[in-house]
Amino acid sequence: MSEDIIATLKENVIQGRKSLEDEGIDEDLTGTPGVVELTQSALDNNIPLDVIVTQGLTAGMEVVGEKFATKEYFIPDMLASAEAVGAAMDILKPLLDASNVETKGKFAIATVKGDIHDIGKNIVAILLRGAGYEVQDLGIDVPTEKIVEMVREEKPDYIGLSALLTTTMVNMGEVIEALKENGLRDKVKVLIGGAAVSDEYACEIGADAYCVDGFHAVKVLDAFHQAKA
Amino acid sequence: MLVIGERINASNKSVGQAIASKDEEFLAKLAKAQADAGADFVDVNAGVGFDARENATATMEWLIDIVQRATDRPLAIDSDDPDTVQAALRKYRGDTVMINSVNAEPERLEVIGRLAAESQASLVALLMGKGGIPSTVEERLAASEVIMTHLTSLGVKEEQVFFDPLVIPISVDSTQGIITLKTIEQIKSRYPAAKTVVGLSNISFGLPNRGMVNRAFLLMAAYAGLDAAILDPLDAKVMSLVKVADLLTGKDAACRGFIRAHRKGILAD
Repeated sequence: MSEDIIATLKENVIQGRKSLEDEGIDEDLTGTPGVVELTQSALDNNIPLDVIVTQGLTAGMEVVGEKFATKEYFIPDMLASAEAVGAAMDILKPLLDASNVETKGKFAIATVKGDIHDIGKNIVAILLRGAGYEVQDLGIDVPTEKIVEMVREEKPDYIGLSALLTTTMVNMGEVIEALKENGLRDKVKVLIGGAAVSDEYACEIGADAYCVDGFHAVKVLDAFHQAKA
Repeated sequence: MLVIGERINASNKSVGQAIASKDEEFLAKLAKAQADAGADFVDVNAGVGFDARENATATMEWLIDIVQRATDRPLAIDSDDPDTVQAALRKYRGDTVMINSVNAEPERLEVIGRLAAESQASLVALLMGKGGIPSTVEERLAASEVIMTHLTSLGVKEEQVFFDPLVIPISVDSTQGIITLKTIEQIKSRYPAAKTVVGLSNISFGLPNRGMVNRAFLLMAAYAGLDAAILDPLDAKVMSLVKVADLLTGKDAACRGFIRAHRKGILAD
């Protein structure tokens, strides 16, 4: 029974079905329980939280990530799955907070100073939340000082910087320099992403990694997380 | 429909590399090809190369020079940095020119607006302020009012202004296509002399079969009153739809342009 619920939960994450009313990626699924209902029944059946999260939600998102990478899935598919997982996490959050189940780490994300692009940043935030990270979104056009301040006060394990413009990507380097000056650079891993940047640019400014997209960001963070453990 | 050729943009990987490696021939060819394909303006975005910000201006001047030697089509100077725009305007020898772009932030309107007034340049104005792209038609119209009031006070004429209602990918928010179209309609009724322009391919970001989505949206936007589009002129299918858009919206008297394009064999189905 428990295994059935978890398998169905995972399948519905892959289908991008938040609730009963959603038709899903395959047609004709309307009326069957979606991720929200299945998460609730998993709780009602006393399935452990970590099983719901890792074997249901995260396992489903991993499949979504693979399908996105092979271009079977597109952005709307991925967003539907991520939203479904987000809704499930809203149900689980209070319980997770009260239990000893740890998140994989704290991740802060910002679009750097001068740049107001937020779509890519939001997708990365949604996917990392779905992958079990505690995500804090600092928003767009975020001044360097504010990012430094945040790293000092909140001590995130990772910070993601986004820039889409060749004119604003230089501000990513500025953030890294400011972290160094404040003695915070070794306290946090810095990941960068966005249309303007590249692996080479990450090297040039001394970032820890460049991420092509949100799923890549999940992989990179998971690798850092495992290296730490 | 005015076509602004989008290909010379440093954020495109091959163009970025050509700029970094000073590949003049590649860039000149790309400029000429767009003009030959029917671009009315050739957009020039030099980014910042792979160096520091200080080099943005020098890179832009260098690129303007290459492009204007390759074609006599007017250029759209694509930068949000006033110093770079000013340097590009000085370097540019043609009469007709466009600046791409400004938004509703007063400091930027002031500086770029003055440059547009002095050089009588057309000016692309994004309907947003500091907080990013507004999600509603009303907020975008409010931005248009801030922009037009400020620009006209600097001596920019209404017909110089190309409002960009902003296109958010339909893959991210399915309500946004209609919002862009309604904004175009409203702008055209509020400022009949002003123009509207969109960056077309944003609409299809994240989707398969992007070309057909772009082409369909172009026609819908033409109906809403779109005057210009930033697109890839080397895409024969979208360029054919530009002709169709003019044909169907009464901008092609006696269907001359459309039939001429047919005779030339440049219409692609």
